[in-house]
Amino acid sequence: MIIRGDDITGPVRETADVCIIGSGCGGGASAKVLAEAGKKVILLEEGGYYTSKDFGSTEETAYQKLYQQRAGQATDNLGITVLQGRCVGGSSTINWTTTLRTPEFVLEAWKRDHGVEGLSSMELDPFFARVEKYLNVHQEPDENHNPNNRIILDGAKKLGYHAVAVGRNTKNCVKAGACGLGCPFDAKKTVAITYIPDAVKAGATLLANCRANAISVSGATKHVGGVVYDQATGKPKSDFVIEAPVVIVSASAINSPVLLLKSGLANSSGEVGKHLTFHLTSAVLGLYEKIIYGAGGIPQSAMCDEFLNKNGDGGGFWLEAVPIYPALAGLALPGFGSWHREMMHLYPHIGATIVLVKEIDSSGAVSVNDYGRASISYTLGSKDLKYLKQALATAARVQFAAGAKRVMTLHATATEIAEPSQIEAKLAGADWGTNELALFSAHPLGTCRMGANSKTSVVDTHCQTHDIKGLFVIDGSVMPTSLGVNPQLTILAIAEKSAEWIATESVKFRE
Amino acid sequence: MAKIIPSGILFADDLTRVPQNLVYFSPKEFLIFEAAADRLIGPPPPGHSGSVEIGGAARADQFLSGADPEVQEQFHQLLTVFNAPLFTFLFDFRFSSFLSMSPEDKNSYIEDWMTSSLGVRRSGFQALKRVCMSMFYTHSSSWKEIGYEGVFMPEDRK
Repeated sequence: MIIRGDDITGPVRETADVCIIGSGCGGGASAKVLAEAGKKVILLEEGGYYTSKDFGSTEETAYQKLYQQRAGQATDNLGITVLQGRCVGGSSTINWTTTLRTPEFVLEAWKRDHGVEGLSSMELDPFFARVEKYLNVHQEPDENHNPNNRIILDGAKKLGYHAVAVGRNTKNCVKAGACGLGCPFDAKKTVAITYIPDAVKAGATLLANCRANAISVSGATKHVGGVVYDQATGKPKSDFVIEAPVVIVSASAINSPVLLLKSGLANSSGEVGKHLTFHLTSAVLGLYEKIIYGAGGIPQSAMCDEFLNKNGDGGGFWLEAVPIYPALAGLALPGFGSWHREMMHLYPHIGATIVLVKEIDSSGAVSVNDYGRASISYTLGSKDLKYLKQALATAARVQFAAGAKRVMTLHATATEIAEPSQIEAKLAGADWGTNELALFSAHPLGTCRMGANSKTSVVDTHCQTHDIKGLFVIDGSVMPTSLGVNPQLTILAIAEKSAEWIATESVKFRE
Repeated sequence: MAKIIPSGILFADDLTRVPQNLVYFSPKEFLIFEAAADRLIGPPPPGHSGSVEIGGAARADQFLSGADPEVQEQFHQLLTVFNAPLFTFLFDFRFSSFLSMSPEDKNSYIEDWMTSSLGVRRSGFQALKRVCMSMFYTHSSSWKEIGYEGVFMPEDRK
């Protein structure tokens, strides 16, 4: 059963075997596994419940209905925009479908540096394979790449860099270009149309528009309390308390630590909210004589992974394409006024390549602000800044190799590059301070990190908090490090594995 | 030449443009935002609309009314600081409020915020730019000008 806030008329008081907070990849996959194991599951989602008929598939409707803070979420200094879903299905509803396995060197580092057991490639492979089959993950044939993705494939090939098609979780995709706005055709196999319906079919109850504000613990029982909102108006209308021996926090790397910190739970290590990574993202724009029209076709179907962990230090970067929606372009393009507007007139001729840096020495954190909401801080490390500069230079070379006539970065003051020989000098002369280069993240991870040592981590290998039996965190926040790849498959696989363990051990959580 | 007026005084003909049903902006904040958006978006080419014509400030009023409380508070503060003669003087040795500057001075003033050595001013510029660009380019009236065709939709939802 799926219940919207609109349909709730009074205070909600319920008991369950498992209460899950958040219906994205972590929460949705956990709900399906546990409901199918016969557990009474109540799933809470602070955002609304929308189907493909409600999406509208414009930036205006999508940002308002489906995105955290209407796509305006950012670090406190506004230096990095943090894009996340806020709806049933979470970020899977608005991501660009890229579905990739966790790189082996990352899993090895988790074991070596954090004592993580049970998550080797060999142990995760069956879960990866199961999820891939369930979500119809596949690579697109060559003719399906749009011109913006062809820039990566063709440009990288000319330069001798490795570039391939990515895995995508779609079926019967009509190439509408709407992945980031909510797929109006239900071609994208989001959590909202796969895991959630299957969880509900197995008996789970999903309460949308219900924001959890605190968890309290008495004996083996946990109480999750919060506010019910009206979906149409966004106004608070009632409250809820759910009692359960098992609570799974799946509210994302931004909001899971906020909930734990507000509740005063699971933080004996002092590590909750720390070690935030972003998979820090910026872009290089190329101007072409031909039409690119980056808003059309499949938005993201190719990547260049030549430079990930190339030096063996666990860092590096890779390149992907990005859908170029008008407001996103308006925000990203440098400058303002007449110059900016003239650049917007070149919109159909703009190709955009994003660079994503797998951090190794940056420092991010989430804390709770005076309003009880997330305060996000981030300091870019010197090694990661070096990789960011290399990434932008590489993307510029790829753009030129693919035929761009001019290239520019997203520096506030335009850094235009007329030919490849200018790349290094132009970037050397650019400013790199906060808000001098537009930066984004769609992959925040790591604020309740997993590890064997309870003094340096928040959860164990099963995603159970070291401090409290029966209290779990299952989402991107448990990642001990940046992944270097788009995270949805990693989160889904870890969620399925952890939820299976919870199902088999569930009697213990009532003791 | 820039008009020199105290920042608290608004001209009557300006106020007539302010919608009566504002939910977030004060009338003065509405005018400050409208003026900033006009410069940030830039003048429209013939046959197209600017931020004022599409009601960018009214759209921002609705948008910001649904923002988190801390964002609402910070944006109020930003508009106050952005316009106040005290701060225009402290930041740039200008003697007028933003509202009373000439269009050229407004552009120059905004550029000073964008390239300021003070991180907080660059953040302020980004905040203004984000809301202005979002309000303008999410509006379908702006799409034809740039060649955006919207998303291919199912027949029953076109």
